[in-house]
Amino acid sequence: MTDLRRRTILGGALGAPFATLAAPAVQAQGGKPYAGTTINASCFQTTYFTYLKDYFPQFTEKTGIKVNFTMQAFPVYNQRTDLELSTKGSAVDVCNVTFIYSGRWIGAGWFTNLDTFTTDRKYTPAEWEPEDFAGGPQSAMKNGKGQTFGFTWEAGAMILGASRADLIDKAGLKLPTTFDELIKVCDAVHNKDNVAAFTADKLHHWNWIPYLMGSGGAVFKAPPDNLTPTLATPEAAASAEWYANLLMKYGPDGLLSYSDDQSMRSQMSGRANIRTQAITWMVPLAKHAESTVQKTVRYGLMPAGPKGNFPGSNSHGLGIPTGSKKKEAAWEFIKWALSKETVAMVVKDHGYPSVCRMSVIKSPEFKQVLTLNGQDVAALFLEVLQLGGKTGYMKYRTVPVYPQVGDKINKAIEKIATKQQAAPEAMKQAQAEAVQDLQKAGIKVDL
Amino acid sequence: MTSSRPAGQAAGFALAQRRFFAFCVAPSLAVLAIITLLPSLYLLATSFTPLNLTRPETAWDFSHPLVSYRQLVVDERLANSVWVQIKLSFWTVSLQLLIGVGLALLLNVKSRLLEALRTVFLIPMVLPPIVVAIIWKVIYTPDISPMHGIFRTIGWNVPALITNPDWALTSIVIADTWEWFPFTMLMVLAALQMLPQELLDAAKVDGASPWQLTRHVTLPFIQGVLLVAGLFRLIDSIKAFPLIYILTDGGPGSLTEVTNYYSFLQAFNFSYLGFSSAITVVLLAATVVLSWIIIRAVGWGVRVD
Amino acid sequence: MSTRKSDRFLMQALAIVLALLALSPFLWLLVMSFKTNAEIFHWPPRLFFPPTLDNYAALWTTDFRGSFANSLIVSVVSTVLSLLIGVPAAYALSRWQTRSGATITLWILASRMAPPIAFTIPYFLVYRYLELLDTLTGLIVIYLTFNLSLVIWMMRPFYDQLPRALEEAAWIDGATMWQGFTRIILPLSGPGLAATAILCFLFAWNDFFFALILTRTEAMTAPVAVVNFMNYEGWEWGRIAAGGTMIMLPVLVFSFVVRRYLVSGLTGGAIKG
Repeated sequence: MTDLRRRTILGGALGAPFATLAAPAVQAQGGKPYAGTTINASCFQTTYFTYLKDYFPQFTEKTGIKVNFTMQAFPVYNQRTDLELSTKGSAVDVCNVTFIYSGRWIGAGWFTNLDTFTTDRKYTPAEWEPEDFAGGPQSAMKNGKGQTFGFTWEAGAMILGASRADLIDKAGLKLPTTFDELIKVCDAVHNKDNVAAFTADKLHHWNWIPYLMGSGGAVFKAPPDNLTPTLATPEAAASAEWYANLLMKYGPDGLLSYSDDQSMRSQMSGRANIRTQAITWMVPLAKHAESTVQKTVRYGLMPAGPKGNFPGSNSHGLGIPTGSKKKEAAWEFIKWALSKETVAMVVKDHGYPSVCRMSVIKSPEFKQVLTLNGQDVAALFLEVLQLGGKTGYMKYRTVPVYPQVGDKINKAIEKIATKQQAAPEAMKQAQAEAVQDLQKAGIKVDL
Repeated sequence: MTSSRPAGQAAGFALAQRRFFAFCVAPSLAVLAIITLLPSLYLLATSFTPLNLTRPETAWDFSHPLVSYRQLVVDERLANSVWVQIKLSFWTVSLQLLIGVGLALLLNVKSRLLEALRTVFLIPMVLPPIVVAIIWKVIYTPDISPMHGIFRTIGWNVPALITNPDWALTSIVIADTWEWFPFTMLMVLAALQMLPQELLDAAKVDGASPWQLTRHVTLPFIQGVLLVAGLFRLIDSIKAFPLIYILTDGGPGSLTEVTNYYSFLQAFNFSYLGFSSAITVVLLAATVVLSWIIIRAVGWGVRVD
Repeated sequence: MSTRKSDRFLMQALAIVLALLALSPFLWLLVMSFKTNAEIFHWPPRLFFPPTLDNYAALWTTDFRGSFANSLIVSVVSTVLSLLIGVPAAYALSRWQTRSGATITLWILASRMAPPIAFTIPYFLVYRYLELLDTLTGLIVIYLTFNLSLVIWMMRPFYDQLPRALEEAAWIDGATMWQGFTRIILPLSGPGLAATAILCFLFAWNDFFFALILTRTEAMTAPVAVVNFMNYEGWEWGRIAAGGTMIMLPVLVFSFVVRRYLVSGLTGGAIKG
């Protein structure tokens, strides 16, 4: 708390002209102590904040705080935010704590401990209820001591979405439930009606891993304690080759450069059929005004491999960077953006699927808006979250070095997909580079 | 007495002149020293540390000064990036020289139309590099590309070039050549305008054909300019960034990842600033050497009194 | 060169065809900025389509406006500063017979040619402490690294061409050195100064790399804003094209004005265009 005050004072001295401008506003507005403040917030591109942006005027009216919200594509957001946080600069007041960076960012002390706000009634009323956030997703936002550095707005759960299920029906098949069936379905429907059978985005280190694990492979030996990469195993090479083949044989042209948004658009415009991704990217197929596949989309569980089913699950939260000079106003924003009322509103108006407020998830409205094309997608969502919680197979993602190792995986899949290297060589090289990288980061690797 | 006064005056004048010149030059040199020399020294110092921003204790850790340089030697991805750089530089510089000379010869005719066209040809070079990158992103994106549209119409099934391993680097080469051919063209045009008419006339009297004229008179005359233009483009090609950043992000795999780009990734994606500094020091040294060669070739700053 | 009439006609025709070919990518972007998204995805493209300004209007309501202003401020201020500091130096270096000339030239050329990342890393590290990240001041300072060299580089050969007799005559009439420079030389440098100023502006305006690393939100310049936009709304091609067009507009106008000086600006007077 003292640290917080000191920073505010420092900030005030530097931002003197603004402070004097804001001062009369504070007196005049009484109940809005931060009126006239503008905060900068940022996140990767996601429908939650696209929807939420429409409600910002309500927040500004309530608190007098203006929000300057920027969004970037997922990899760009992570890279720029990583850079910004590392400087402990004050350019951003609220930002997304990205799942794969959570270990790195929270571990390096780049985020503010939010317990100072939630435990102080001056900042947070009791009915805000931090305990209402689902425990599983929220755990990624905590450090070893159990202190909280972010509140989750997204509990990502990977499902399968087929934008043109009618084509699968026509081929006399069902939504695939195993890897083999997936290939069979792709074979049957590829380029029927000018629709590519499969689509994905270039974030292979998220999209591919469920297939890797389903085939008996893994990224690390035993995360988070033993981070020796296991990318060169025969299972990993075989799975990488299988996945690269899936992309190249059944994907639309240029797929390797697709961002997550572009991939969604390829489904929405009916140019590609099946995708396995977080539910957030799937619901717009049924709900988005520009979607041409609203009537034909169908959802299912991520297909299972011979060694089990490991649909990706993750969580993203909002946090306050240590360098922010407007922490109180920033907290006002988080408090509003993730309040029960706001979350319920976004769910109700837009059918946003992957929220983290238990009170909302359990409400009948949630089930109602997530009944898409007659399917109970809410049930699918909860099933995936439970799967992820049970065995903790997602631990590989929150280790501090995952961004670097993930980059190696992306490169390897690209190389295999474009036939620059055979899978075993590409994975061997990825393994060697990952090991070299981990050593550069000062992490012990057993060889 | 009488003869020493003017001499003294002259000496005083020379002194005053020197003082005045020093007064004019000093601010620039001081500012340049602060904004270019100091940062270069800082870069050099950083290259001797394993600086990584997630671990603040690495900032001034000189305990293993050569650790980054040692990693640099064994880094296969770096070696690959150097090879990519060589290929990129070779093709872009050669093509730009070739197209530049060709166009300059074509446009070097007294004609109002052609003179107006010279200005038109300049456009790619003066466009902001980021706009050039956007232009080519449009051309290389199959859904909206006029090029792919034409290919489809005539029945060619051409894959998306920037994600195709056989074409990714070529597509960068094409875009870069498009951006910078006007530079070599302009330089050659300028040189051609200094070509003495007598030389041409003499050759013509001897019955030389237009081709022989070009081959034996014009080309030898512009040799020096070609060298300088090539060197300038060579240095610039080391800096290639926006095209790669926007079009391929170094991929697919590492096929279009040049050294500059790799260094950028290491520093600003993974915060291995120490390692990246070491790469950059080497790049900077290469730039200085090439600049020195240019100065030798052109002869600036070397006074022949 | 004397050429036969038919040859001449052929050459002109060829030149026109080549110019159209070379410009077509650029024209395509320009036209795209006036199309609706549906029109952009339409193949074959229609020659006559109802042009729309929606893309520009939509862009102008976003933060892009602020970035555009940032670009303007940073480019203008860095240009003025570079001229103020650099012009006297260029003059002095042109007149001063010094043995360190070659070293200074190498230094200036090298700092002009250095890969941007060589400056970005140390500036990034130092700006963290000076709190200059994401500020216009920070950008202006780093733009001096190339613009100050550019001024010295372009103006020095320019002064080399002005006969020394000019200021020497003034000195004999009792003018001080400084007066000789400001009253005689500067007024004669008008065209050179204008060309140099415009080139400085263009280099600062065109920068992408420095702004990408050193700015976040407040000081973001237009090129970075367009790229952000592109990452964010990957399919809003009309707006991307509109953004690109707006960035290149001032550049095209200015370059046209200084086209004669472009080459010597880029090569430091090695070649006079």
